[in-house]
Amino acid sequence: MNLNYDKASIEIPESWRAKAPIILSAGLIFLVVGMACCFMATSKGGDYTQALKYLTHSYLANFFYVFSFTLGALFFILVQFLTRAGWSSSIRRLAEILMMTIPYLALLFVPILVMLFAGSSALYGWNADPKDMENSVIASKATFFLSKEFFTIRTIAYFTIWILTASWFFRLSRQQDESGDTELSSLRQKWSGPLIMVFALSVSFAAFDWLMSIDADWYSTIFGVYVFSGSMMGFFALMIILCMLLQNAGKVQKLVTVEHFHDMGKFLFGFVMFWSYIAFSQLVLIWYANIPEETFWYQVRLEGGWKAFSYGIILVHFIIPFLFLMSRHIRRSRTLLATGAAWVLFAHWYDMTFLVMPNAGSAEFFPMVGHLLGGVGMLCIFSAIFIQRATGVPLVAMRDPRLPEALSYANPIL
Amino acid sequence: MSEHKPRKSIEKKMPKAFGWMAEYQDENNLLAAARKVRDSGYTKTDAFTPFPVHGIDEALGIKPTILPFIVLCAGFTGLATALLMQWWTNGFDYKYIISGKPFGITPASIPIAFELTVLFSAFTAFLGMIALNSLPKFSNPVFTNPRFDRATNDRFFLFVEATDKYYNRESVKELLGGTHPDSLDEVLEDTTPSTLPQPIILALLLLVVAGLIPGMIILNMRAGFSTAPRFHVFFDMDFQPKKKAQQQTTIFVDGRTMRPQVAGTIARGQLEEQDPFYLGYDPSKLTMSNDSPSVLFVSLQTPADGKPPIAVPPATKDEKTGGQPPATPVVPVLPWIVKLPIEANEDNMKVGKLKFETYCSACHGYGGYGDGLVHKRADALAQGYWLPPTSLHIDRVSKQPVGQIFNTITKGQGKMASYASSLTPKERWSIVLYVRALQRSRNANIDDVPVESRFLLDEDPKPVDPKPESTNSVEVTSK
Amino acid sequence: MATIASNFNLREIDNTDDIPGRRAPLITGNQSYASVTDIVCRVAEDPQPMLWYILFGFSSLTAVMFLSLIGFLILKGVGIWGNMNPVFWAWPIVNFVFWVGIAHAGTLISAILFLFRQNWRTSINRAAEAMTIFAVICAGIYPGIHVGRAWLAFWLLPYPSLNLWMWPQFRSPLLWDVFAVGTYASVSLVFWYMGMIPDLATYRDRSKSPLRRMIYGLLCLGWTGSSRHWLRYEKAYTLLAAFAAPLVLSVHTVVSFDFAVSQVAGWHTTIFPPYFVAGAIFSGFAMVVTLMVPARSIYKLENLITLRHLDNMNKIILATGSLVGLAYATEFFMAWYSQNQYEYFTFFNRAFGPYWWAYWTMVTCNVISPQLFWFKKLRTSTFWMVVICIFVNIGMWFERFVITVTSLSRDFLPSSWGYFRPTMFDGLMFFGSFGVFLTLFLLFCRYLPTIAMSEVKGVMSAVSHAAHSKDGTHGQNH
Repeated sequence: MNLNYDKASIEIPESWRAKAPIILSAGLIFLVVGMACCFMATSKGGDYTQALKYLTHSYLANFFYVFSFTLGALFFILVQFLTRAGWSSSIRRLAEILMMTIPYLALLFVPILVMLFAGSSALYGWNADPKDMENSVIASKATFFLSKEFFTIRTIAYFTIWILTASWFFRLSRQQDESGDTELSSLRQKWSGPLIMVFALSVSFAAFDWLMSIDADWYSTIFGVYVFSGSMMGFFALMIILCMLLQNAGKVQKLVTVEHFHDMGKFLFGFVMFWSYIAFSQLVLIWYANIPEETFWYQVRLEGGWKAFSYGIILVHFIIPFLFLMSRHIRRSRTLLATGAAWVLFAHWYDMTFLVMPNAGSAEFFPMVGHLLGGVGMLCIFSAIFIQRATGVPLVAMRDPRLPEALSYANPIL
Repeated sequence: MSEHKPRKSIEKKMPKAFGWMAEYQDENNLLAAARKVRDSGYTKTDAFTPFPVHGIDEALGIKPTILPFIVLCAGFTGLATALLMQWWTNGFDYKYIISGKPFGITPASIPIAFELTVLFSAFTAFLGMIALNSLPKFSNPVFTNPRFDRATNDRFFLFVEATDKYYNRESVKELLGGTHPDSLDEVLEDTTPSTLPQPIILALLLLVVAGLIPGMIILNMRAGFSTAPRFHVFFDMDFQPKKKAQQQTTIFVDGRTMRPQVAGTIARGQLEEQDPFYLGYDPSKLTMSNDSPSVLFVSLQTPADGKPPIAVPPATKDEKTGGQPPATPVVPVLPWIVKLPIEANEDNMKVGKLKFETYCSACHGYGGYGDGLVHKRADALAQGYWLPPTSLHIDRVSKQPVGQIFNTITKGQGKMASYASSLTPKERWSIVLYVRALQRSRNANIDDVPVESRFLLDEDPKPVDPKPESTNSVEVTSK
Repeated sequence: MATIASNFNLREIDNTDDIPGRRAPLITGNQSYASVTDIVCRVAEDPQPMLWYILFGFSSLTAVMFLSLIGFLILKGVGIWGNMNPVFWAWPIVNFVFWVGIAHAGTLISAILFLFRQNWRTSINRAAEAMTIFAVICAGIYPGIHVGRAWLAFWLLPYPSLNLWMWPQFRSPLLWDVFAVGTYASVSLVFWYMGMIPDLATYRDRSKSPLRRMIYGLLCLGWTGSSRHWLRYEKAYTLLAAFAAPLVLSVHTVVSFDFAVSQVAGWHTTIFPPYFVAGAIFSGFAMVVTLMVPARSIYKLENLITLRHLDNMNKIILATGSLVGLAYATEFFMAWYSQNQYEYFTFFNRAFGPYWWAYWTMVTCNVISPQLFWFKKLRTSTFWMVVICIFVNIGMWFERFVITVTSLSRDFLPSSWGYFRPTMFDGLMFFGSFGVFLTLFLLFCRYLPTIAMSEVKGVMSAVSHAAHSKDGTHGQNH
């Protein structure tokens, strides 16, 4: 490989590294302030039941919002090796760093487990004392599957699977940086197939456990796919913004080309459509069959002030990004595409809020502001973790055997 | 179609020249030549290649096509068509309820909206491509060169048209000759006759005529008048081997298709016809009367305990059997039972309340005043033409024997339909019990309220709450 | 031609290995543009092999039998089938969904793989698209004759009728089906035909007989290969691909809605749309592999449809097969998790009720047999891949049978439970539909370009171009 490159151009910008502690503390402040806002605005008199509910739901929604990016990154890596893709070689390292934040983010899940073992049923209704549960359906699930012990075991299993997969892929990638051995690519290709199946299973069940079981009465087999599609969409939006910010800071200028932006834009567009397809499929089946065991989930989202918010998701999450990203011209323009991606990042947060928050109670202004602040805080914390992980790691896998392909291809027509 | 004719019969006069065409073996040579030609200022140029050569649009200076914009418009047209069509057909022009779904645009409209968007866009993309390319075009001067057959195989051609404003026969020849072509030919007018061969025209005409025939037959059948019997394709469907009611038959001696009941058998439900529990009156005491219906009706209002009858406006009753022509019709005198055949206990009362509120309250109202939701809605809609449901507290009803109320529930009266299929006899009697309780609660005084419950009344200054809840604990028996 | 002679020596060359950084050749045998044209055109120009006539005779007789049985069905009524209370949706709907599923591979290959820049699709997309069209024809027949009065099937269309004074019921998923399958059939046909136009022009230009030249000349609309035409053509092709890609998903999604919007346990589950789509791609690819393996060997197309193509298709079969397995597992899990007694009973009944044999056939063929494709030996062995793909198709037929019949035969009312038994006509008509499919496919091989020559050449050009520009010899061209 006789690619001439400046070593500094593929490192995380110094200014970012310098700002990382500030970003982290800002994130923590935002998170704490947001959560406090949530808590204060919903506690009525001395009754903190509702406040605790709001607080925990908001935390889960914001946690999963940033965590879904890493799941998207992990899937992206797996699928790039599975399909022997060449075009993505120059942006793959960024996704690899993103997925390496999983171990840190796993720590953010610990408060939820602690809360379970403290006996709180504010977030997961199935954690209440079986004697207090009127609903026999939940009670019969809660005896075994939705017990705090088994839930914890599963959660640890998911994180173990993801962390092991991510770090193995990352280690081999870093080894290749040193040796340039093509065998390291072949090895990852070989294992990407089985691992993607394990990934699919674990993400599906993690979605059932973490997000769907906050309403333990409700069930939808497509829910895992729904969460997956949103995560992929969020991941591509983040990648686009990340690439643009890095380029604005003078990094990876020639390594990430307009073709990569174009392709990521297409993927972003594609996953906006895929999410809409999955969301519509779930809605139309439940709406049409009109069985009370299922429809109540949507009813919760149409009552208590959530109606406008829930209808808004069609506009925010489908119509606006769909119309905006439809044009080839926009997908090939860095700034315009990043604008669209920023909107999609917001839309993904909107979707997470839609999934979780109506279960906490009615929509009110101040708690929602707190929830939004919490989301910003989580995003800041996530960015700080990303910068920490990216320090000392080249931002492009310069000795990937397929890098020349990534630098020379052109989008034909679309 | 003329391009496949051998080009031997060239006429005497010199055919018109369309331009020069150079042939290359390789797309790279073509691209280089195309750039050269473009840089020399020629715009009326074209390349002919067996596959789309990338970069040729830039090399020849071809502008992007407006096809995507046309397709976008078609897509929105498809979307609008689908939504309008579904709204118009199912939400406006021919409304009907299907599994309680709302009219107009619903999630159920999305699949068809999507399909028509795709259908319109896809066909526009294809037809737009055809139209913008001016296809089909069967006669083309480029086909006159036999070497051109390889343009769809493995050769690349560059063509400079004679209509270009800088066109000069010699200089173009020189320019193209300088790009090292494999061959360089002048494109000449296609001089072969451009008319279709006679047999093909005939065959096409025949096809058109044959294609018209089925349509003409159908048109004739739909528009014409004929007395000839129709043609039965599905004979066994049109003429089924079965008999309908009131038809004659030769199978039985009496010639009737309908058969009388076989002696000594009981039809389903027949046993119940003798039991007062199912009827509300005792059939064994049934007598026939020559009294006019109104007299009879008044007599029926007289309860068995000897209280005086009350004059009420005549009401119709469909209990007549047979149709006697004389002026004094003979009608059955229905001996209504006056004692409830079920026990007046709390269980029955609860059942009665539940069923009353399920089935009766919609019209008669929870309190039995005839002010149910149906009444309120209908009254609002009909603006005075609506005849309200009977109040259960008017004397005509409250003095009726229990058997008659049961009979009304069972068979219906006036606008009220029969509830026999929805409610078991026991449930109907329970409703009667509950109705009696409702009626009794209208005439209750403080002595009827149990001593231990009277404080409830003290808190509320209103003497009687019309809601039925207040009568729950009242001990009621039928007279 | 020397290149042609070398084709035979280089058959079955293994190009399935892909060393990172160096792409294995998509087509083997050192092909030139002319040799590709030759190989493909020979299929239609040379006299057909004896096997073609034998197969054609057999399949056309089967097709005639099928058409006669349709006539008989129309005369006698749908009572000749085994459809009986409570299973009113039996083999006809099973066969319909089966064939629609098969129809998914073609447009998927031509549209979705095109958007993903999978260049290997160019060798197989034409034949796969043809299979799409023929499978849709087979699929469309079943609901058409199942409606009872088949001659009134046009009532499904929204036309202002002077006799009926009413409109179709657009809120019914069955009508969505009419639109989805109708759109899919017509768009696939346009896509297929449009892709064929340049190749039909090649056929025209190589024709020796004037009649042949005239017919192909008419069919290709006078295509010249003008660059201005190519530009619009490519744009239109890309747009069609962009529309056909979601269309492929939508068709089986709508078919799944037929089941899933109901309240029948085992039908009403939200994962049905993606799960049906995965199953459709699964069965479609299996059918493509099943037919392509003998076709490439009969017509000597091994250099264009290489082991690499088959290997790639088998990988997709493995992926979609695993997705289908995952969906089965999710459904089973959710039947327990929901604590809904009807769901729970239905799934228990599927696996251990009277139709256990169908269920386990389905699981064996659909979930277990494609897992064999983890082994590269089996993935690249033409014999084993055909065996596995036939199993997959059997399994996918049984999947639809299990979904339709087990749920209907045990509905909410135990007094109406029953056991479905097909009649002779069910079997013969299903068999007959294969005759229609095969007849059309054989005619296609004989008269139309089976491989998209112009697209293969385009990829060849791009590959050689990339190789050149890497050396820096032709770098100035860009």
